[in-house]
Amino acid sequence: MAGYVTLENVKKIYKMGEVEILAAAGIDFEIQKGEFAVVVGPSGAGKTTVLNILGGMDTASEGRVLVDGQDIAAYSRKQLTAYRRDDIGFVFQFYNLIPNLTALENVELALQICKDPMDAGEVLKEVGLGERLNNFPAQLSGGEQQRVSIARALAKNPKLLLCDEPTGALDYNTGKAILKLLQDMCRVKGMTVVLITHNSAIAPMADRVIQIKNGRVSRIKVNRDPVPVETIEW
Amino acid sequence: MGTRAARKDFYMEIRKSPGRFISILFIVALGVAFFSGIRSSEPSMRITGDAYFDQAGLMDIKAVSTLGITEDDIEAIEAVKGVEEAEGSYSGDFLCDTGEKQYVFHVMALPGKLNQVTVSEGRMPEKVGECLVDDDMGYKVGDIITLKSGTEDPLSDTLKTEDYEVVGTGSSPCYISFGRGMTTIGSGTVSGFLVVPEETFALEVYTEAYVKVEGAGELVAYTEDYDKRIDTVLAAIEDITGERGKIRRQEILDDAGAKIADAKTELEEGRVEAQAELDDAAAKIADGQAQLDDARWKIADGKTQLSDAKTTLLSKQKELKNAKAQYQDGLEKWRAGKAEYDAGLEQFETKKKEVQAQLKEGEDGLIFYRQQLDQKKAEGEAQISKLEVQAGQLEEQIRDLESAGTPDPAVLEEMRNKLQTLQGMIAAINTGLEQAEADYNRKTAELEAAKAEAGQELGAAEKKLTDSKSLLDENKRKLDSAYSQITSGQSQIDSGWSEISKQESALKSGESEILENETKLEDAKREYEEGRLEAEQKIADGEQEIADAEAELTDIEEAKWYVYDRSTLPEHDGYGENADRMRAIGRVFPVIFFLVAALISLTSMTRMVEEQRIQIGTMKALGYSRFAIVSKYLGYALLATAGGSVIGVLIGEKVLPYIIIYAYGIMYQHIPEILVPYDWSYAVQASLAAVACTMLATLFSCFRELGEQPASLMRPPAPRIGKRVFLEYIRFIWKRLSFTWKSTVRNLMRYKKRFFMTLFGIGGCMALMLVGYGIKDSVFEIAGLQYDEIQVYDGSIILKEDPLEEEQESLHEYLEGHKDIDRFMDCYMKNITLKNESHEHGAYVTVLGDPAKSDEYVHFRDRRSKEVYHLSDEGAIISEKTAKLLDAKEGDSIVVRDEETGDKKVRIEHICENYMGHYMYLTPGYYEKVFGAQPEYNNILFAAKESYSKAELEKAGEKILARREVLSVNYMHEIEKQLDDMLKSLNLVIIVLIISAGMLAFVVLYNLNNINITERQRELATLKVLGFYDLEVGEYVYRENILLTFIGAVVGVGLGKVLHLFIIETVEVDAAMFGRNINLPSYIYSLLFTVAFSLIVNGVMYFKLKRINMVESLKSIE
Repeated sequence: MAGYVTLENVKKIYKMGEVEILAAAGIDFEIQKGEFAVVVGPSGAGKTTVLNILGGMDTASEGRVLVDGQDIAAYSRKQLTAYRRDDIGFVFQFYNLIPNLTALENVELALQICKDPMDAGEVLKEVGLGERLNNFPAQLSGGEQQRVSIARALAKNPKLLLCDEPTGALDYNTGKAILKLLQDMCRVKGMTVVLITHNSAIAPMADRVIQIKNGRVSRIKVNRDPVPVETIEW
Repeated sequence: MGTRAARKDFYMEIRKSPGRFISILFIVALGVAFFSGIRSSEPSMRITGDAYFDQAGLMDIKAVSTLGITEDDIEAIEAVKGVEEAEGSYSGDFLCDTGEKQYVFHVMALPGKLNQVTVSEGRMPEKVGECLVDDDMGYKVGDIITLKSGTEDPLSDTLKTEDYEVVGTGSSPCYISFGRGMTTIGSGTVSGFLVVPEETFALEVYTEAYVKVEGAGELVAYTEDYDKRIDTVLAAIEDITGERGKIRRQEILDDAGAKIADAKTELEEGRVEAQAELDDAAAKIADGQAQLDDARWKIADGKTQLSDAKTTLLSKQKELKNAKAQYQDGLEKWRAGKAEYDAGLEQFETKKKEVQAQLKEGEDGLIFYRQQLDQKKAEGEAQISKLEVQAGQLEEQIRDLESAGTPDPAVLEEMRNKLQTLQGMIAAINTGLEQAEADYNRKTAELEAAKAEAGQELGAAEKKLTDSKSLLDENKRKLDSAYSQITSGQSQIDSGWSEISKQESALKSGESEILENETKLEDAKREYEEGRLEAEQKIADGEQEIADAEAELTDIEEAKWYVYDRSTLPEHDGYGENADRMRAIGRVFPVIFFLVAALISLTSMTRMVEEQRIQIGTMKALGYSRFAIVSKYLGYALLATAGGSVIGVLIGEKVLPYIIIYAYGIMYQHIPEILVPYDWSYAVQASLAAVACTMLATLFSCFRELGEQPASLMRPPAPRIGKRVFLEYIRFIWKRLSFTWKSTVRNLMRYKKRFFMTLFGIGGCMALMLVGYGIKDSVFEIAGLQYDEIQVYDGSIILKEDPLEEEQESLHEYLEGHKDIDRFMDCYMKNITLKNESHEHGAYVTVLGDPAKSDEYVHFRDRRSKEVYHLSDEGAIISEKTAKLLDAKEGDSIVVRDEETGDKKVRIEHICENYMGHYMYLTPGYYEKVFGAQPEYNNILFAAKESYSKAELEKAGEKILARREVLSVNYMHEIEKQLDDMLKSLNLVIIVLIISAGMLAFVVLYNLNNINITERQRELATLKVLGFYDLEVGEYVYRENILLTFIGAVVGVGLGKVLHLFIIETVEVDAAMFGRNINLPSYIYSLLFTVAFSLIVNGVMYFKLKRINMVESLKSIE
């Protein structure tokens, strides 16, 4: 059966003057609904290209990108924006919170533009920030900021939660806690999560691991028994 | 920047971001240009004025004296320390009626070295009767100006002639603007000046002295240094004036004393002379009488002589008659003699002819005989010769025969007989011939004898005739001479008669002459009597005059001197005040402008340093010294700021003062040249301030960055802490704000620097524009307010001086019946000086004839509350500006200066709104109370029918002007127009303000927005990733901008109002009060412009927003 998210022969070619750079040389994979998928690969393998294309921030040069049956590769700029605001939740490596908005407001910022939002306070409570709703990002630790970022992404009730190295800027324990949160959200809410990382140690916790090398999918591994985050060490 | 790499980095920095460099350069240039330009307008104005004054040799000090100024006075002034030159001159004010208008001319003597007149057309006057006239009067070369005295003294007291031909027009440095000063004659205001050669004045002493102060030329007019120098010298001159006054008085006294003495002797002489003349006249009369008598006697004598002559003539006539008869007789006799002679002559002639004919006959016979004789002779001779031949032949034959010897004696004898007969024959012929000859001779002798006898007879007859002829001729001659004697005798007698008749008529005319002379003599006698009386009267008068003069002398006071500086010249100070006003404007405007510019460049530099945090860290890590790192940014800032300053100074200090002085030039058209030297002090101030601001800011931010360790520099700066804004604590409002607004408000508060700068920029822009428009409102409105709302009459009729009562009444009747005139009112207007404590100011005292109806002509009201006032007999209403200048309030008593009858006190009952001129309104009743006399109405205010156009109004006015009683008619709309024209000079200044405000707004907004977006690029990229549409991202930014624009506008309104008030108060001239209002459209225009600038900038920014790449959000913070 076709996956909830399907990439078929996706290619991305950047032209740098005379030189053509093949960032994605034909990527194919599928992710099922409710899966926790991890895309791993070394720097420059094409992870970010996948993320950009999947997140609607960039368009594929070739191939199809089906999300919930819609081919977003064919979307216009405007459709892509709508896709981003309605269907995608984005968790950044550097949180990208608006510094002069409180935690709550940062979540609300995303909610005000989407069709079926959850209650911001509720979501923040869910991510464990019930006490810090009215704190500004600068008053929060990195992990807390990332939680706000996750809450902001979740509260939109997206079809897909895209996480770009969510632990990249965090220390080990906090990173683990964030991964736990993401895994929990996937399990509890049935959210489809795509996590992009260069850290292959995270792979065991995923339902599906997609390895990318030189712009192509080198291996797709489906984990029948993903391990809880706590047991992973790196 | 020691290394090559560092240098290259420096240049690349500029090349890579030309926008930033240019924007700093530009805004600094703008700020510096505006600052130094507007500020140096003030010194430039002074220098421009001063250059003109120096070039024209405008006097520094003017002195006048009540008794005139003598050469000695001039020398005394010249001797005062600090006086470079003193010059005496003449001047006087005179009237000139042109038919339409009455002008007052200030007539000045052609200047020497001081106060030189600039000729703009024609030439300087060179002789009496020529003049140069004020440029502004509209006269042309060739026009004739006829002056008349404005006082009771005749014109000839001062001037030698009253007609002047205009030979040139020009301007005087004494009059730099429209005003020509005040006078005591005519309308009270001088209309223009006339320059005439000095000898045109018939005065003995100078009327004024002009003084040039040593070293004052080098000082700039209107500056403290100049004023100080002048004050010192002025005081020194004043010190000698007391003494000079005494001397002058003594001089006059001496002079007058001598004159009186002279007059006395003159009088005495006159008396003697008069007596002598009278005596002489009496003698002449007596003489005339004697002559007359003599003439009478002579005439009688003449008459006798004449009758004698007549008798003589008659006897002579008789004699002549006898002589004539004798002559007639003689003539008759002569005629008879003549006839006799003529008959004798005829006889003689006949006889003579007869004799002559006889003689002729004799002669003819003789001649015929002769001819016969000659013929006989010839025949005889021929017969002789024939006979001789025969005789010869015979002789030969005889001889032959004889010789032949055989003679036949018979034949020989016969032959000898024959020869004998032949010879007898020849002898007979010869005898016959000789007889005939003798016969002829005898006959000839007989004829001769007859001839001689006839000749003798004829000669005797002729002689007889000749004798009688000469006798006749003799008689004739005698007769003729007798005749001519008779004729001449007759003509002598005739001429004797005519002589007699001539003598008779001469006698007659002599008689009539005598009669005439008798009446003449009578007249002479009467005249003599009159002359005697007159002489006595004159002598008495002379004595009286001398007595008067002697009395007057005791009244003469010391000459009072008045020494003035240039402020006595009309509008001279006004120019300085305008410069001061420029300084006032320069104090505020450019500072705001400059501050904004400095802030912008400062922010840009700070931002630049912050952006290059990592580069700074790297350099530091690489081991570059602090100085090396900082020098790049300092160099950048220095280059941009100094470059901008230089451009700003070079352009701003030339262009702005020029525009401003040019604008003022409309009021001061006679200043020939605009000088805008660079004012280095302002240039240096502005440049130094600009450079210092940016350099310090750069240095400060550099050191803030450099203070950190290289490692931390490589990391992004710690994010700024979000803060709750004040508004959040007001839950009531905060709760009601939509989320987006909350974030907007917080954003605004978070970037405080940006917030205030934008506010300042937009507010400043709004304020500048508002001030620009506001000045226009306040200044241009006054004409409308003054003449449409306050002085609501259409014009005033100025009556000729001292009109008779009947004339006034007839004019009233005329106006009453005039269909064009809706209403009119008598009015008294006079220029007076008001005084309150130390403040003094001129104003028009205005008395409205009918106070009950006064509000049909002048609306008295309070400017703010619009409360309406009415005139009462309890006090005066004075105009607001006048009250302000006098520092007087309602209820105060002020003083009306009156040099003749003493100062008068007037109570101010109300202060009324008024924009042009200074007025004190009184009721006739109160006037009488104050001045002790009824006002003599010299004006009639009138209004035409409501619907009348200007042209119709002027037509009606012309008819009024045609009347004898009327001197001139003024129309309010004309004054309104003049006012409008004058105020147009401010227009240019306003345009400058508005344009610069616009430029400021644009640059500020662009810069700030640019910084804003660059600073928040990551945030905006995140928003995009979160699925905000472009427009929504724009809105997110714009909402702040719009809010800022409006807050800025509100701040601008406040700031603008304050600035406007300040500027209006400093710009205001003494004679006018500008409005304090800014009209709604001005707010709207200013706001629209501000919003428009904001929109344009935001529009440009939209594209920049669109270009923000979402991938930015994924990058680490740097």
